[in-house]
Amino acid sequence: MVAIDDLVKINDYVYEIPQSFRSDMRVPARFFTDDKLLKAVMGDRSLEQLVNTATLPGVVKHALAMPDIHQGYGFPIGGVVATELPDGVISPGGVGYDINCGVRLLATKIEREELSSHIELLTGALYNNCPSGVGKGGNVKLKKGELERLIEQGCHWALKNGYATEEDIEKTEERGCLEGADAKTVSQRAFDRGLGQVGTLGAGNHFLEIDVVNHVFDEKTAQRLGLFQGQIVLQIHCGSRGLGHQICTDYVKAFQKCIKKYGLNLPDRELVCAPLSSSEGQNYLSAMKAAANYAYVNRQVLTHHVRRSFDQALAGKVANRKVYQIYDIAHNMAKIEEHQVDGKLMRLCVHRKGATRAFGPLRPELPAPYRDIGQPVLVPGSMGTSSWVLVGTQSAMEQTFGSTCHGAGRILSRSQAKKKVRGTTLLEQLKAKGIHVLAGSMAGLAEEAPEAYKDVNCVVEVVHGAGIATKVARLDPLAVIKG
Amino acid sequence: MDEKRQKSRSSGFRFEEIEHTADVGLRVQGKDLKALIENAALGMAAIVCDDSFLPDDRMEQLVEVEADDREGLLVEWLSELVFLLETNSFIFQGFQIENISETHLKAKVYGKVAEELKVHIKAVTYHNLNIIETKDGLEATVVFDI
Repeated sequence: MVAIDDLVKINDYVYEIPQSFRSDMRVPARFFTDDKLLKAVMGDRSLEQLVNTATLPGVVKHALAMPDIHQGYGFPIGGVVATELPDGVISPGGVGYDINCGVRLLATKIEREELSSHIELLTGALYNNCPSGVGKGGNVKLKKGELERLIEQGCHWALKNGYATEEDIEKTEERGCLEGADAKTVSQRAFDRGLGQVGTLGAGNHFLEIDVVNHVFDEKTAQRLGLFQGQIVLQIHCGSRGLGHQICTDYVKAFQKCIKKYGLNLPDRELVCAPLSSSEGQNYLSAMKAAANYAYVNRQVLTHHVRRSFDQALAGKVANRKVYQIYDIAHNMAKIEEHQVDGKLMRLCVHRKGATRAFGPLRPELPAPYRDIGQPVLVPGSMGTSSWVLVGTQSAMEQTFGSTCHGAGRILSRSQAKKKVRGTTLLEQLKAKGIHVLAGSMAGLAEEAPEAYKDVNCVVEVVHGAGIATKVARLDPLAVIKG
Repeated sequence: MDEKRQKSRSSGFRFEEIEHTADVGLRVQGKDLKALIENAALGMAAIVCDDSFLPDDRMEQLVEVEADDREGLLVEWLSELVFLLETNSFIFQGFQIENISETHLKAKVYGKVAEELKVHIKAVTYHNLNIIETKDGLEATVVFDI
């Protein structure tokens, strides 16, 4: 276990576990926190997991964790690990089972007062049109050949099939399609799991939320993003569903053989990995991209359902019902990127597991409308609490391979949360705060109670203070749809 | 993993759920690999579903998996059941193990279409997975991504 005495405080927001802590570490580990959040970090085994990631072959500079760090499996949630090409490794467990789990932020020109008398109607329409919950299938029925095209073309498939607009695609990370996804690297089992789930939220911590922009911190950037005080916006949080889960399952299994083949010495079998230059590494990268494309399409089809819901619920009541996209980001992904490391330009594979890319201004990967302001970063809070819109910074490029936090970060296990909070009581409490909740399961609701998470505002204070993203606007929830 | 949840039998429990910050852990025991494999599946079923079974609930699925070692076999077995659960809503309560070694397993699984699933298991992980020898037989802790 990592003890407080093992830590070296680098500055007010950064602690280091030196390379000397364990003989198998190839680089030091660093994590972002403050004195207030540090206690939660020390409360589970997340730092031990962070140290484990510092042992991966080809790891560059530091193994990192964001302030929403908590215990996962293999990597900690909040982990950022960059490995050097061509022979550094890629680890399926370092991306996680929910490949390209991410967040999409949609906006309207509707102000809070205009919606207030219709919000229950709108929430009901969203609940009916956006399938959520354990085992709920979607209403986009596909044959295997069509799903092959979907996972290779990503949101371009959605555009061709009437689920997307050009503007949506322009404002999606990677334009909603990672090039190089080959359906042949995806198993039949993954297809079987993914076929009926396009356009579904799933369960767990996934949600769809109606929010109001309650505080603008950076007026100029907010304006550029299309955000204003009092505005109604929506967040969609979900990922690649069963297709992604199965792809990770398949490759974690297949990579077990790589331990012997490549002479890997790993502290945890969930960290199995293969050199990016190997056929195993390349096949996983391709399959991961296929799952990522599925996830972009999943959020895109849900966006289509959101637009239908606005028309159904608000026709004749609200004049301008246009729902437009602000941005869509991934927070479970490995990306091939170029970064300056100690003055040297390097090609890296940046694993972000429960961490968001936060590129600073002028990176060519950013969409033209946002290139000079930096990448929009979407940080959903726990249910019933604030969410944040931030932008990436040059400092993030220097400190974290252009990465920042992805959410609040759990502190209580799901069963601890259920012991502390009853779903029905929570529902009443949220209602008293003016937040409508439609949930498929009361137990599931209790698991996601705000008490189960760190305070997202504290997490955002750390990333803002450390300069690895800056505040643009805070969103507060009005209605939540959960599985 | 910090604290136990109440699901253990007084002595020589078959399975118990273990606290994990973000996911779910299951500690499983069995007098041999066959019992461990069966108890792990029953433990997983208890995590996802509270349905009761009737004598008529005898839907049958054949499962055959291979792995390089017994830890891998346990993960593959449970992953196969996750697949059946997700694609057919198949929840299981009985097993007939036809053939088992440390690297190969063939079994008939009996169950029914689940009425209500309370938890969605995304995957079975290898995280810190070790099958250890105890005085009563074998023990393993499996972490599920949920």
